[in-house]
Amino acid sequence: MAAETLLDYLDCLGRFPDGGLRFVDRAERATWFPWTEIRERALAVCGGLRALGIERGDRIPLIFPTEIEFFDAFFGVQLAGAVPVPLYPPVRLGRLGQYLRGTARMIERTRAPLVLADARVKRILGEAVALARPRLGCKTLGELPRERGEVVRVGPSDLALVQFSSGTTVDPKPVALSHRAIIAQVEILNSFWQDTADFRHTCVSWLPLYHDMGLIGCVVPALSREAQLTLIGPELFVTRPALWLRALSRYRGTISPAPNFAYGLCLHRISDAEMEGCDLSEWRTALDGAEAVTPAVTRAFIERFARWGFRPEALTPVYGLSEAALAVTFSALDTPFESRRFQRDALSRDRIAREALEGREIVSVGRPVPGFRLRIVDEAGRDLPDGRVGRVWIQGPSLMEGYLDDPLATARVLRDGWLDTGDLGFLMDGELFLTGRAKDVIILRGRNYAPEEIERAVEGIPGVRTGCVVAASWLPEDAEGGRLALFVETARDAGPEALADLPEACRTAVLGAAGLAVDQVELLPPGTLPRTSSGKLRRAEALRLWLAGELAPPEPVTAVRMAKAMARSGLAYARLRWGREEG
Amino acid sequence: MSDDMIILQGISEVARLHLGWQGGDLSPEMRLVEDLRLDSVRLMTLAAEVENRFRIFLDEADELAIETVADLVAVVRRKLGR
Repeated sequence: MAAETLLDYLDCLGRFPDGGLRFVDRAERATWFPWTEIRERALAVCGGLRALGIERGDRIPLIFPTEIEFFDAFFGVQLAGAVPVPLYPPVRLGRLGQYLRGTARMIERTRAPLVLADARVKRILGEAVALARPRLGCKTLGELPRERGEVVRVGPSDLALVQFSSGTTVDPKPVALSHRAIIAQVEILNSFWQDTADFRHTCVSWLPLYHDMGLIGCVVPALSREAQLTLIGPELFVTRPALWLRALSRYRGTISPAPNFAYGLCLHRISDAEMEGCDLSEWRTALDGAEAVTPAVTRAFIERFARWGFRPEALTPVYGLSEAALAVTFSALDTPFESRRFQRDALSRDRIAREALEGREIVSVGRPVPGFRLRIVDEAGRDLPDGRVGRVWIQGPSLMEGYLDDPLATARVLRDGWLDTGDLGFLMDGELFLTGRAKDVIILRGRNYAPEEIERAVEGIPGVRTGCVVAASWLPEDAEGGRLALFVETARDAGPEALADLPEACRTAVLGAAGLAVDQVELLPPGTLPRTSSGKLRRAEALRLWLAGELAPPEPVTAVRMAKAMARSGLAYARLRWGREEG
Repeated sequence: MSDDMIILQGISEVARLHLGWQGGDLSPEMRLVEDLRLDSVRLMTLAAEVENRFRIFLDEADELAIETVADLVAVVRRKLGR
């Protein structure tokens, strides 16, 4: 069956009646919905949306936790020919102000006529909706008119989904994906796992549904195969990681993806008692993506959970990004993960990868998935040979149409069918090794954060020089995950007390604004942070200099220095005129 | 012992067991972010484990006004009163 849109998957249901969605709550009770029932529920939502006047192409933000209503809304919106935009629900006990402003900004950005939300979420959304002013306001599914409506036929070029790659008030990046792109990605994913007459794969996921790895990585493939998919809310997983592994065991999951930090959480926050009776031997593929894969965590996870049947060859590092719908490279399945060591200086200073017994260990994220091509290019866009670090460009059938309504931002990354991922790495023996990022986005715990979001939090703290703050993340060697640094130029007139309190005040501000703990606050004299010729802060350069121990202020320009410099240049000019050699 | 004290002790126990809190009992005026230094993961953990401990359910509207330990105690007391 050649599906052209996600709705074709809904049309073809009925071949495997035991397929569906299973929701697991904190008491490990399960609620089950067959795919056919999910379709019926979505049709009801479609009718309600059509009755409200929702039209083909309308963008509809959805704010739901991991529960059946998310799917009623998601598929209901698509059946009505509109485009779902999943947004994240409020963080528990988090600072509501930031959340509401960020959500309002994202709603505005999509020019949505209507927002759909869970009843509990709707109660606190008032301010966000008032700010964004969608024509039809915010409705729960229960508030939609109960009318039967016609399904709107869309085509492969129509948008299927808009996904914000990082939620931010400053510069939301809404990735617009067509049906064609998502179908292409799902077909790529499905090609890695074959069902047979006697054996059907089943996935277990705690990943958020507003994130590509959860939605496009788990949900849509399960729908396309009419498979069973077991879902756990991300907030449940983070507070009780054992739920994930216990569900994998109980429901004989064969596939489950997660970011690196999740495997780390399992190491530190699951007791042996919680694993009693668990059997992970059916878990054939433990995908590891969405952030850098650290050998420290992967090895320790494999070692610890072998006791409960975890197969070492299941751990599969992968690489992808929402601008490509999801997967770009996959390591070989059913094979132990590969890492190599490289000479540190050659890598950081000369951007050349030379294997060395005692070098920096980098995990391979594998080869391009079927249909994708990869290039490593230098700053000028010229192809680099193997073993040379450069920017990773990709081409494939599931690339985004662009950033929603933003041709300029799109043109900056998408050129002649190639996408500049903003990531840095090199190829060796056909495998991709990632070394860092050229783009400024901060990736921690598998989530993207815009550095502006964090920088803005500390503006206005006494002693902070306005507009002179850089936030950046980096991965120390042997670390279990990324760390967050804040480089802060201090104001010229900052007093000693303000300076003494500054690091702590910055940490508190970032904690409150972004819920993130800063690992390193570096106070710098005014003028230290590197800038472009037009005065823009160069974040990647600031990080590079700091890691090299070279983040220092420029030499002060004094009268004597000026005179010496002029004398030197005058002397050189004189020599040139008289044709004399430099002495 | 007053109800509030019992609740406060319960929350302090949660902080010790699940948040790595090394101090004694929490004091009511402590702010969750500024004083307890809770990032988003640990805020989630606090909410979930307080729910588990007291067998209550906190929803988004309940959590709206919780900035200090005292706020949290008040919400728990209200929920237990049902």
